[in-house]
Amino acid sequence: MTKRSMTRREAVRVLGTSALSALPAVALSGGQPQLVKGPASGTLLQVALIPCPDYGSENLTAAIQAGWRSSRPPDVRGKRVVIKPNIADFSEERPIHTDPRLVESLILHLKKLQAREIILAEGPPHNRDTEWLFRKSGFEALAKRQSVPLVDLNYDDMSPVKCINPRATLLKELYLPRTILSADVVISVPKMKTHRHAGITLSMKNMFGILPGMKYGWPKNTLHWNGIPLSICEINGTLKTHFSIIDGVVGMEGYGPLLGTARKAGVLVMGDNALSVDATAARVMGIDPARVEYLAMAHRIKLGSLRREDIAVAGEKIEKARADFVLDPEYAFLRAPKG
Amino acid sequence: MPNIFLPRALDFIKANQNADGGWGYRPGGDSLVEPTGLCLLALMAGGEKAATAKGLDFLKACLKDSGAVGINPRDPEGSWMAYAALLAFDALGATDEERRLRDWILSFEDASSRFTPADIKAIATVYRFDASIRGWPWTPNTTGWVEPTALFIIALCRAGVPATEKRIKSGVDLILDRKVPSGGWNFGNPYSKSYELEASVMSTALALAALGAAGVTESYPAVDAGIRYLTRSLTGDVSTASLAWVLLALNCFPTGAALAPKVSSRLAGLQAADGGFRRNLFETALAFLVLSDAAILVRIPGKGR
Repeated sequence: MTKRSMTRREAVRVLGTSALSALPAVALSGGQPQLVKGPASGTLLQVALIPCPDYGSENLTAAIQAGWRSSRPPDVRGKRVVIKPNIADFSEERPIHTDPRLVESLILHLKKLQAREIILAEGPPHNRDTEWLFRKSGFEALAKRQSVPLVDLNYDDMSPVKCINPRATLLKELYLPRTILSADVVISVPKMKTHRHAGITLSMKNMFGILPGMKYGWPKNTLHWNGIPLSICEINGTLKTHFSIIDGVVGMEGYGPLLGTARKAGVLVMGDNALSVDATAARVMGIDPARVEYLAMAHRIKLGSLRREDIAVAGEKIEKARADFVLDPEYAFLRAPKG
Repeated sequence: MPNIFLPRALDFIKANQNADGGWGYRPGGDSLVEPTGLCLLALMAGGEKAATAKGLDFLKACLKDSGAVGINPRDPEGSWMAYAALLAFDALGATDEERRLRDWILSFEDASSRFTPADIKAIATVYRFDASIRGWPWTPNTTGWVEPTALFIIALCRAGVPATEKRIKSGVDLILDRKVPSGGWNFGNPYSKSYELEASVMSTALALAALGAAGVTESYPAVDAGIRYLTRSLTGDVSTASLAWVLLALNCFPTGAALAPKVSSRLAGLQAADGGFRRNLFETALAFLVLSDAAILVRIPGKGR
């Protein structure tokens, strides 16, 4: 096998969570999403930035309702809704996973809106022991309480779906779980976290977790070799996330997404365009979204927009909610100037 | 057999065989190589050999001209699930298929040869392991990790490949190199920058079973520390699959074998009224095998099949 030269950053990332894209983002331009279309050009994107001081059920319910009212939520009545939280791993000390209390409030909200079926689904990236992980993170108990299925996407039945532009990637197609493909509505509910190799992980990065580990390995290693930014765009360009709710009540700063420390931002960030939701959440974290490689790439291939002027933010002002997350020194360049 | 209800696991397995002869992870799920391989071993171990023919045909259909086995017949490439097919081919006497698959597994490459000396140095700095050591990946030409390396070592040794074979030796080296300093293994990163990463029960059990199969004894500090890690972990929450792999690992070492009866009882107690474990066919077959005779799955030095 021919050895190719990797940068230090690349070499380090393929072992853990990413490799920088080996292919230019421009290779993706012109690709046509098969299952998803980006918002029409010129559309003002709507994002709700809602204060939520803690995980008390009253506060969560009020925040979800306020965010739902002030963004463009999907019609869930009579629909099959899949909620994709982030359950990357479990730690007693660190807030790695989406708080199940938020997800429970969302389930109750969806039930009120008469969703026909609600399913919780996640394919954890590192730890194959999903039974343990679901139990320790509180999601097993939540699923039982609310009588909703909890699906391990790592071992879900799957179907191949052609990638938006096979020339752009080593992957000609994505094998996607049928639980996701058969959903009428997919709601991504990630934790607001820094990421040691992607910079930050929010709604778009959360969708990495839908790909079955049995096909892509752990930690979805095929995708890491393919390049994390490219793979994120590939997944989000192929499969639509209908709504995102970012758990920024307590996020993670520093050496995330597993080893960082808790950081309270006290907000939920919600909206129907994952890129604009992520861009807004990044600004809350004190990060310039245009400096985050996969967000910039997603913007270039028109999966939405990260530009402030394209996003109407309802609720709290970004400047007021801004809670500069501590960045790993390697990612200091992501910091947005104040003002 | 520690549990008189255990044979009902076989009924659960037989009742949930798909029309194509294979099994999915859950009843009605698409047939896949890993659950099919383990269900076939369980049926054979339970004296139900007549019920294995169709399942064996499914696995044979997964064998490509190259000798590779993917996750199902439609998978265009080979994969980690091939370990289960090798175990089944070996146990069911499919000698030609076993030989072809064994040769492919021995040529199934990870990414170690893709790293330059500079890459290896950088990885050693951040993750503190030697990326030049060849193991097995989950998918072709990606990074070698502890669990697929362990699974392939277990299967190769069970199929009679000597532990002196260079790929197995290298795999053992990888596992030993990736140990977590405070004991046990995780998926394969002992450190990330200055942080020591935690071990996990499943990874540790698989690593120990592989080391045991390859003849690495308790005199190795990593093995001793791994067994102690498992012993500590058993006081807490352990999943069904992890408990089964733990039982397999403990059977490979004299100290561990002393703990095995307790673990057997705990695992047997998880069997549901329908005969299955968590309504998962892979876990049901795995539990049945380790509770019946761990030697069906792993070569235990000094013991026959």
